[in-house]
Amino acid sequence: MDLNFTADELAFRAEIRAWVAANLPKEISHKVHNALRLTRDDLQTWARILGRKGWHGFAWPKQFGGPGWNSTQRHLFEEECALAGAPRIVPFGPVMVAPVIMAFGTPEQQQRFLPGIRSGDVWWSQGYSEPGAGSDLASVKTRAVRQGNKYIVNGQKAWTTLGQYGEWIFCLVRTSTEGKPQTGISFLLIDMKSPGVTVRPVRLLDGEPEVNEVFFDDVEVPAENLVGEENKGWTYAKYLLAHERTGIADVNRSKRELERVKRIAKAEGVYDDPRFREEVARLEVDVVALEMMVLRVLAAEKSGKQPLDIAGLLKIRGSEIQQRYTELMLLAAGPFAVPFIHEAMEAGWQGDYVGAAHCAPLAGSYFNMRKTTIYGGSNEVQRGIVAQSLLGV
Amino acid sequence: MDFDFTDDQDSLRDAVRRWVDKGYDFERRRGIVQRGGFSREAWSELAELGLLGLAVPEASGGMGFGAVEAMVVMEELGRGIVVEPYAAVALVAAPLLAASAAPEATRWLKDIADGSAIVVLAHQERAARYRIAHVETVATRDSAGQWLVSGTKSIVPAGDHAGAYVVPARVSGGPDDPAGIALFLVERGAGVTTRGYPTQDGACAAEVTFDRASAVELFPAGEGHAALEAAIGRGIAAVSAEAVGVMDKLVAATIEYMNTRKQFGVAIGTFQALRHRLADVKMQLELARSMSYFATLKLGEPPAQRRRALSQAKVQLGQSMRFVGQQCIQMHGGIGVTDEYIGSHYFKRLTMIELNCGDTMHHLGEVSARMQDTAGVFA
Repeated sequence: MDLNFTADELAFRAEIRAWVAANLPKEISHKVHNALRLTRDDLQTWARILGRKGWHGFAWPKQFGGPGWNSTQRHLFEEECALAGAPRIVPFGPVMVAPVIMAFGTPEQQQRFLPGIRSGDVWWSQGYSEPGAGSDLASVKTRAVRQGNKYIVNGQKAWTTLGQYGEWIFCLVRTSTEGKPQTGISFLLIDMKSPGVTVRPVRLLDGEPEVNEVFFDDVEVPAENLVGEENKGWTYAKYLLAHERTGIADVNRSKRELERVKRIAKAEGVYDDPRFREEVARLEVDVVALEMMVLRVLAAEKSGKQPLDIAGLLKIRGSEIQQRYTELMLLAAGPFAVPFIHEAMEAGWQGDYVGAAHCAPLAGSYFNMRKTTIYGGSNEVQRGIVAQSLLGV
Repeated sequence: MDFDFTDDQDSLRDAVRRWVDKGYDFERRRGIVQRGGFSREAWSELAELGLLGLAVPEASGGMGFGAVEAMVVMEELGRGIVVEPYAAVALVAAPLLAASAAPEATRWLKDIADGSAIVVLAHQERAARYRIAHVETVATRDSAGQWLVSGTKSIVPAGDHAGAYVVPARVSGGPDDPAGIALFLVERGAGVTTRGYPTQDGACAAEVTFDRASAVELFPAGEGHAALEAAIGRGIAAVSAEAVGVMDKLVAATIEYMNTRKQFGVAIGTFQALRHRLADVKMQLELARSMSYFATLKLGEPPAQRRRALSQAKVQLGQSMRFVGQQCIQMHGGIGVTDEYIGSHYFKRLTMIELNCGDTMHHLGEVSARMQDTAGVFA
């Protein structure tokens, strides 16, 4: 047993740190550190900077132009990016669809789609959930009917994060209604500029248009855009969800935001109030414990000596912690979290803040983070999965 | 970074587990508890396994093992809710003696390792609660230069069975002054009286009163508090690992019960309310295991980082022990609150561990007081 990273890993960390410090634009990290509004340009600028270095697909194997890092190196990369105030890599392209294309796509699909994801040039969206298929994802109804060398797609996807920027969307579509719901699903790549695709932003409770409804009305999709075999899409969807084991805990971002909790609490004069301070102390323990759990999973992957069946816990705990830090920041600002000044979320806004600039985004962040225990398989679904593996039934 | 155990550590674990499973089953334990909560025979068996000398240097007849081996042993003893004061003697008192420059310490270490003597740290005082710097027991020198210790120590583990005590006593300063604390070795004999009693979890402890009892100085004032603090730190790591073992076994028993107990015609493990509770229990168990590792692996850090890490660990352990203990009893229903059922004894042990080496509230205060701008495993 050894808690420390190896000398090589520490050197790797230093290299990443230096590179991020030299390449992450200050105006972007300023927004991230202060929870200000990020634009499409901000996100894509960072994606392209990473892309030029070959790190946008930071989890990719060398074979597909990735850096070929192991799980510990990936963790260190994500940590350095998070602590430096880099935006989260929009996962739909490099983290979600790319591994599926690598594992199950044809060589033609790989040559066609992977370079644009690797470079950060092509924006991908996720077409999984539907109005009637949330936690029960297997009940997707969007139909794809094969006609010659194309599919005709009809239906609606929901909760498509940042879909308003999307150029391509990977979709779970129903190609058969026979057998179990899971067996009639296919994995289809759809050009969002196709006639019949309509994207309608949905404003979330914080006032931001973060998710979308995507409608498909007789959309023609070339059959060559089917990934893998027809009706095997559920297998690929599960592969996708299992691919990122520790990233979803987002413990690195939580470490950064815990620092922000303390900064705001100091500025608001509650850091020395023992009642508030003990809540921060509790959160600090929660973050350290989660980080230890993440490190255990990473170490187990690296050694391969004994399987560690706790990855399912990471999403639950990580999301609870994300909610908690936004809650504490809200409470730290107290009454000064009340004003809703939409423009105050813009970097460089010259208007009059109420209280202090750092108060402006806090309620919105708290509202927004309610999503974390709902998306990616609600925490109730996750608990069901954990219980099933423990009870065996 | 590596959380695997070496082959030797796995062998050690197997040896302790075999002894617990075959040699310390629930019936034997029940008998030991009924006869006062300490068994000389069981103690000798621990000695034969070499476990009492785990942290004793090889030169003094021990194995000279480190913190990870101690953690492995404690997890396994926790699985059997062993009542004998293993951690108090082998993992807290022995390292204190080993770190002392006093020649008498070596002789006692040999006796600890072969099981012929029990030495425990006697530090708890009535007014101290969890503040280790609060020491009212005093040490003075007589005209011949002999140290004499006077005062009363509470809840001394197996205090009735000990041959000697490591006693923090004040040689100067007010009752909370850490600089005036020295550590002494006091043999049980003239000037030492004990009043033993059982503890809630089936073990035994004693009030130990020293009345001008002859003492050997182990750590002088100026060093005593730091040595005491390090010893309590090892105690935190030890009981954290023990708690993980206790919880492991209790959760396993609960899972088995959920799959066999039927109500309304089905196994209660089919009910979603209980399934989700079980997932929450598993969460707390794994958070606790993670922080038990953390505590053990941070024992070698400089004092400031070590203290912060150990308090963080004890907060997590305290929360986990209470949740896991309470919920596992709840999910058992009526059988869980009987003395006959083993689960209730695991629950009682978990409850008592929280009160050992500082409870959750105490350590949360410590974490709060020691917070820095940055936090994390490597902060």
